[in-house]
Amino acid sequence: MTSTPTRAAALRPSAPDRTGVLAAGTPVRRAAAALSFRNIGAVYVWLVIVVLFSVWAPETFPTATTVKQVLNGNAVAGLVALSVVPPLAARVFDLSVAYTMSLTSVLTAYFLVSTGLGPFTAIALAMAAALLVGVVNGIVVVVLRVDSFIATLATGALIQSLITMVTDDSSITGVRLLAEPFASIAQLDAGGITLPVLYLLLAAGAIWFLLEHTATGRRLYATGFNADAARLQGVRTDRLRFMTLVASALLSGFAGIVFASSVGSGSPTAGSPYLLSAYAAAFVGATQLRAGRFNAWGTVLAVLLLGTGITGLGLATSAPWAASLFTGSVLIVALVLTGGRLALPAVLRRRKATPHAGPEAPAEGPAVPAASEENRG
Amino acid sequence: MLRVAGLSKRFGGTEALRDVDLEVAQGEIHALIGPNGSGKSTLIKILAGYHHAEPGALAELDGEPFDLGQVTASRHDRLRFVHQELGLVGELSAVDNLALSHGFARTALGNIRWPEMERRTNALVERFGLGIDVRRPLSAATPVQRAVVAIAAALQGWEGRRGVLVLDEPTAVLPPGEVARLFDIVREVRDAGASVLYVSHRMDEIFALADRVTVLRGGRRIATRPVADLTPRSLAALMAGEEVETDHRPAARSAATGAVLEVRDLWAGPLRGIGFDLAGGERLGITGLVGSGHEIVPYAVCGAHAGRVSGRLRLPQRAERWTDAGDAGGLGLPLVPADRAGEGVIGDFSVGENLTLPLLHRLRARGGRLHRRRESSLAEDWIQRVGVRTAGRGARITTLSGGNQQKVVMARCLAQRPPVLALCEPTAGVDIATRLQLYDLIERQAEEGMGVIVSSSDTQDLLALCTRVLVVRDGRIVRELGGREITEPALVHAMEGTC
Repeated sequence: MTSTPTRAAALRPSAPDRTGVLAAGTPVRRAAAALSFRNIGAVYVWLVIVVLFSVWAPETFPTATTVKQVLNGNAVAGLVALSVVPPLAARVFDLSVAYTMSLTSVLTAYFLVSTGLGPFTAIALAMAAALLVGVVNGIVVVVLRVDSFIATLATGALIQSLITMVTDDSSITGVRLLAEPFASIAQLDAGGITLPVLYLLLAAGAIWFLLEHTATGRRLYATGFNADAARLQGVRTDRLRFMTLVASALLSGFAGIVFASSVGSGSPTAGSPYLLSAYAAAFVGATQLRAGRFNAWGTVLAVLLLGTGITGLGLATSAPWAASLFTGSVLIVALVLTGGRLALPAVLRRRKATPHAGPEAPAEGPAVPAASEENRG
Repeated sequence: MLRVAGLSKRFGGTEALRDVDLEVAQGEIHALIGPNGSGKSTLIKILAGYHHAEPGALAELDGEPFDLGQVTASRHDRLRFVHQELGLVGELSAVDNLALSHGFARTALGNIRWPEMERRTNALVERFGLGIDVRRPLSAATPVQRAVVAIAAALQGWEGRRGVLVLDEPTAVLPPGEVARLFDIVREVRDAGASVLYVSHRMDEIFALADRVTVLRGGRRIATRPVADLTPRSLAALMAGEEVETDHRPAARSAATGAVLEVRDLWAGPLRGIGFDLAGGERLGITGLVGSGHEIVPYAVCGAHAGRVSGRLRLPQRAERWTDAGDAGGLGLPLVPADRAGEGVIGDFSVGENLTLPLLHRLRARGGRLHRRRESSLAEDWIQRVGVRTAGRGARITTLSGGNQQKVVMARCLAQRPPVLALCEPTAGVDIATRLQLYDLIERQAEEGMGVIVSSSDTQDLLALCTRVLVVRDGRIVRELGGREITEPALVHAMEGTC
């Protein structure tokens, strides 16, 4: 291959004693890199938004209430967004998370209200259902080799039918949903910040640790970027992809329980509004901190950015269309600012076959030299 | 015919091309040669209009100046390209592929006139022989057939006109026998009155084919010479900037120390029950024509073949027991795969991350954490040991040249300290200087007692590296060559079955 980007490296005189210094960088340079717009652009955009709304709605926006509203109001959205991060890191789409969330919310409510089970049993059963969803997703995607995008849409439809069976398409409400101890799952607060914010931080911390600091995380990214190469290096890509689907089902299932507790009912459509925002946050998050990689804190940052904007718009105008307009615009702007390509590392980019990918690659299917842009010259 | 002068191109801070002149005369095969990263591809991409040159460059076609920044019809008429990746759609047939660039013949109703299309395609493809079925998807065709379709696509609507056909490393995937056929085709194109600009980094091709050669190095033109005035040594010196040894012959002695790998009755893909013993310190070449199955051997031995595999293998120094070849993955032998970008490196990972990926289990600290410091010292250590040229272990692997990427792939295999190293096309897309470094590296490992299997369709690899070569034809080992018997003619004859 004589691709052009190799030049910088190829021309540099090999100076191994200096490379270490270059790679590590001075503390100042490292700090500059960490604070650059490229790295944490969302923080700056977020600051601009805060200033903007503080000017636009000076009475209502820059208040402690708004801070609490943004944090408390987006904790569940954040949990759902985080749930899609591990699968996306491994290049798996789990579109069933919203349905899983609805499922656990109605199941918890159903067991609490209609069968009279205790809250712990109810939660355990709902989580068992989420686990089952994850396993089914895993079987369909990994074992039966159906493309995850379609497969999880399909299982989502199956879950929705299950939800309708349980609920008859109406919300389940009851005093036991509003009573202790179930209500405290989402409503216990310290200084106005409710428990779900803590769940969000814990989940983000756990996913961050997994992806950044463990061998499993590295292998997940390897699976996402180039599954063939990863497999040849002994990475058990199938098992990892299976695991991410189970993890996303469990986390979104947990989000459903938190949701049921916070609104005090089990709604058959609890999850639906969260699906798009979850993917928006995960993709915006992938442009932050670890550009090109789906990551936990970037996703949390994106959730807060989107949440602040939507809350601010709600306070400043009463236009009902403003929220979606904002989400869509932020998504596009974030992806464009980071060069588009960075934001979609391996997920939507087709791998380009090399000239050597031809006949000597027996482990691959039909080796096809992909039509490259250069040929349109 | 084609003349460019004062061509420069910058990408960010790096100068890809600096004040390059190039002149391709009417009716000549002009080779453009240079190591990876010398700027060949950039130059071609500027000619194709894909990159824009820095202002100030002059360009003339047939005496008429043209604007490098614009792809006009008259430029397209006289400057045609066959790019490295061939630019074909494998799922489509030759007919479709040709029509992609030239349009379909249609009836008044707008539907495609297939018979007319087939006739047209056949007319273009037939003169090269090879019996291409223009209706079958190209993925089912042989590499040389695909190359021919790409050339035919580039030559569409060009009959009898003067112009330049640019071929960008078309032989990268061709086995030796088919390279000769491609050369005949290139000569035919020249003899029809066109000029050919032939990009390569393989010197043997230059001597076999070209009339004149322009050498690029580090983005500059080093020289343009008639090939007749050059020797392999002097051309290599121009390319490398210093005298390099081109005849890399393996040490005659065989450091064989008893078998490290025994393979029996291996069936996989086209392979029909092959078997061999690999001794420690041995560098065993496996070769054959494309489709013979030779390229599957390393994959099968490492348990990385996608299809069904049967047979037995054993690492005698590790276990007495025979392992079913279907479970060969459990032996954990590392593989240097043929398709570096697709199966070798993970493009979005850094050099360090690529290096340590199969070694992560060794880097586990308390609580399942990854031991970052040990990881970086491991990566640094191997970057030094194999001499990877990189800005640092944190640099993206794709910023490295192909040869340096290959060093990273080798390093991570060697870091596993395997008894056997299996390589498939280890020097594909690697420039000559790095190639020699890779040979050295492989030899050093063998001297330390590692057994090396090299499957290659590049005879240069086999000649330079191997102490013994098995030639595979139709899935069976038909010839075994050792030591001095390993010569180019012997290899080609054995592959083709002409002896």
